[in-house]
Amino acid sequence: MRLETETPQQHAPRSGLILLQALVLGLFCLFTLRLWYLQVHKGGTFADMARDNQLRQVLIGSARGRILDKNGTPLAVSEPSFALGLVREDCEDIDGTLAKVSEWTGVDKHVLSETVKRGKKRVKPFEPLILITDLPYEALARIEANAMLYPGLEIVVRQKRYYPTGALLSHVLGYVAEANEDELEKNPQLSLGDSVGKQGLELTHEDELRGSKGRKQVEVDAFGRQHNEFILEPPRAGADLKLSIDIGLQKECSRLLEGQAGALLVMEPDTGKILAMVSQPSFDNNMFVLGVPADKWRELRDNPRHPIQNRVTQGVYPPGSVFKLLMAAAGLAEGFVRPGDVVACPGVYKVGNRDFHDWKKGGHGSLDLRGALVHSCDIYFYKLGDRLGIDRLHDYAVASGFGTRTGIDLPHEKAGLIPSKEWKKKRFGAAWSKGETVIASIGQGYVLTSPLQIGRYLSALVNGGRLMKPELVETDAPQVDAMLPLKDGDRQVILDAMVSTVENGTAKSLLRSDAVMAGKTGTAQVVKLINADIRRKTNEMPYEQRDHAWLASWGRKDGKTYVVVCLVEHGGHGGEVSGPLVRKVYEYLFGPAPGKPARAANPAPAAHGEPAVDPNDVGD
Amino acid sequence: MPFDRRFILSVNWSLVALTAMLFGVGVLNLYSASGFRMGDELTMQPFYNRQLIWGLAGLSCLLAMVVFDYKYLAVIAWPLVISTSVLLVLVLVMGKTVGGAKRWLPLGGFAFQPSEVAKIALLLLAAKLLSKRSERLGWLDLAGILAVSMPVALLIIVEPDLGTGLNVLLLVAGLILYRGLAGPVFKTLAIACPILVPCGWFFLKPYQKGRILTLFDPQRDPLGAGYHIIQSQIAIGSGQMWGKGFLEGTQSQLRYLPEKHTDFAVAVFAEEWGFIGGIVLLALFCLFLLQFYVTAKNAKDRFGSYLAAGVFFYFFWQILINMGMVLGIMPVVGIPLPFISYGGSATIVNFTLVGIVVNVSMRRYLFKKG
Repeated sequence: MRLETETPQQHAPRSGLILLQALVLGLFCLFTLRLWYLQVHKGGTFADMARDNQLRQVLIGSARGRILDKNGTPLAVSEPSFALGLVREDCEDIDGTLAKVSEWTGVDKHVLSETVKRGKKRVKPFEPLILITDLPYEALARIEANAMLYPGLEIVVRQKRYYPTGALLSHVLGYVAEANEDELEKNPQLSLGDSVGKQGLELTHEDELRGSKGRKQVEVDAFGRQHNEFILEPPRAGADLKLSIDIGLQKECSRLLEGQAGALLVMEPDTGKILAMVSQPSFDNNMFVLGVPADKWRELRDNPRHPIQNRVTQGVYPPGSVFKLLMAAAGLAEGFVRPGDVVACPGVYKVGNRDFHDWKKGGHGSLDLRGALVHSCDIYFYKLGDRLGIDRLHDYAVASGFGTRTGIDLPHEKAGLIPSKEWKKKRFGAAWSKGETVIASIGQGYVLTSPLQIGRYLSALVNGGRLMKPELVETDAPQVDAMLPLKDGDRQVILDAMVSTVENGTAKSLLRSDAVMAGKTGTAQVVKLINADIRRKTNEMPYEQRDHAWLASWGRKDGKTYVVVCLVEHGGHGGEVSGPLVRKVYEYLFGPAPGKPARAANPAPAAHGEPAVDPNDVGD
Repeated sequence: MPFDRRFILSVNWSLVALTAMLFGVGVLNLYSASGFRMGDELTMQPFYNRQLIWGLAGLSCLLAMVVFDYKYLAVIAWPLVISTSVLLVLVLVMGKTVGGAKRWLPLGGFAFQPSEVAKIALLLLAAKLLSKRSERLGWLDLAGILAVSMPVALLIIVEPDLGTGLNVLLLVAGLILYRGLAGPVFKTLAIACPILVPCGWFFLKPYQKGRILTLFDPQRDPLGAGYHIIQSQIAIGSGQMWGKGFLEGTQSQLRYLPEKHTDFAVAVFAEEWGFIGGIVLLALFCLFLLQFYVTAKNAKDRFGSYLAAGVFFYFFWQILINMGMVLGIMPVVGIPLPFISYGGSATIVNFTLVGIVVNVSMRRYLFKKG
């Protein structure tokens, strides 16, 4: 077919046609350059970024080891807990979602918004930001039912530490809580939201309990969904920790001290193992696991009875007359006194121009060493201390484990204090005065010891002079730190005196016919009394001025020996308050005492009836 | 009206072929962009087959556009503009709100976007008005054409559909430049525009400002507005020279790339086919655009020439803005890439406009009777 045509009637605008061509050319050049820049010039960089997008190394959590008592009763376990996470990238309306979450769980929306704000920088893109750490089951069900309508919400299963014994053992176990920035920085294995030991054995045995995380490589999509995974390193579960604590005994001791502020320690002298370690008042360590609410924390911190403090290791008190055991040992070991030497006690001892009184008006008459211990004569030890001098006393006490930490596996142990001339110079810039030596000789003044130090010293006296490291872990081998600088014969003299103290001294309440019982009481003054004559009855004094009541004891039955140390803060008189309490501990250990206990075991309290002697003068 | 068989031979077959190729590439790419990996499985969303159906619908529109003489398009230009304007007002009053914007008019169980028709109507009207005379535009002519097109564009912008509104305005501006501005007008505007454009900043909504700021610094908001830009550049860049291969794009299969079957579809293509594939696609687009240039040059009358030029600008701006956005040199504006992005209305409009230009091309000769 032949076309017959005419030329177009129009001439398209020349400049317009040039414009069209120029635009096409410009378009081609612009995008070619840009494609070259992105794909060829920087292609390698972007390829790496795509790979980073796609492959992630993810840590696999390891189960934290349990803590068990010596019979295998679980004391700390890990339970699954359900947390609510928010993947911000998937969430279309963060504000609306938070409002819903607040409605479901009752958590204030401002708190949730704060959490999101805080997590903004620390949580990686596409990782769930934990909004609520532990969802109660009702809330969990409500969220599961509705979560599909709110993309971005995710239930995260995590492990939560649970302490079935709660307040019973919180000072020993401590607790775990969310790792803070410092801890996260120190340990690259930790990720945000992980729990770490913060106190107690959970802290000191953190590495064994935690085990180690595994690593896996996962291919994830933009929604964080995992597609393929490949384990690079399997996780290693944390080891279980078996304690020497007997939870039954712990419970009994805790019950005995209930309502008081004080410490109770039961040890096995041969091994240094601790069977019970009670500090009252206590707190529920479960409360810390999910973060203590600010008001609860303030309440704990500001409580005048300091429930958080572990009084066994962190409470340091003047030991009072319990210190006379060490004084006697120092006198014997340094050759300043022999067991048979008789010393007169006129009831007052003059140093310089100052009078130091005995607790007993008129004095004890003449006493040998055993008598001085049994009746807790102050004058005898004033004289002994005066002759020893503070520096010799200091060196001997330190060699016997005072004034230094025992090295127990618990954090923040206090060393206590044994003063010396040098110490006073450094601390106060003043010279030592002889009167201070006299005061220190009966465990007052600057002298401070923890119940644990007393228990350890007593154990060493009983076990043949071995100063052991106090152990809480059953599987740790007993460790002898040092030998007491004391001859076996001299040691026996002190042990015998302690037995006599139970038989006819200040610790009669411990007496039982089926066991060898021994003890030493102490009544430590809290307020400096200028004049011993104005001692008042305990129940007439304000609580915080009352004396601390000590009882350091050991008992042996059927070849089993235990050391029990009891301190009741502001309890008043040592033998009177601590005695019946410690007696009950032995009843748990040895079984009920046969027959009626000796009358003296239960002296009537001062308020009821008139005892033969003023109870405040029963002596320590 | 008799249909002369000689028309068939005059058809711009290159344009038809290039349209078919671009549409084919688009469907193939959508097949890949429809895939989501779940574990080892590739789950397909039905975008590619739906696009095919839209393409068939578009083809029938294309055919419908060639059976009559395009001079009738000038006749219906005014009625079409007026009726679509009414519809645009209706949309504002009673339209269906989808994703925060009122763009849809429910039409008996079938949603309809009047703004799509408005684009065509305005193109026809602008071509009709501008082709009346041939001398360069003076102030009065300019004011007249703007007075007609601005209200329609504004109606689209307030829906709010900034992308389409902008597209329409740029199209009209392109046609004005195609005809040319009179010396004084051109000089005045050349000075005024660089001053006035920054003032437009104050009329933008905060999210729109954010998008522009994000362009210069994607890290400013890496999980918000910047996320699109960053992930899109990672997808394209990681394709490198030869691409990752069909269906192998990790950025798209693992859903890092947002809007991957619509506005960012070309990023999927560049990821899987690399620089080489990107250049080929770009060349296809440029050849496609040149067909409008050829048709505009050879059209038998001014109206036909302006129609072809208008369609040129319609596609040109979309390609420039969409690819510019995906390649990270223009702000994120919701404008699809012709034939590559998924979209029913857009596909039908694209085919219709190509049909109009085919019509112009096949009637470029005046045949002698007998």
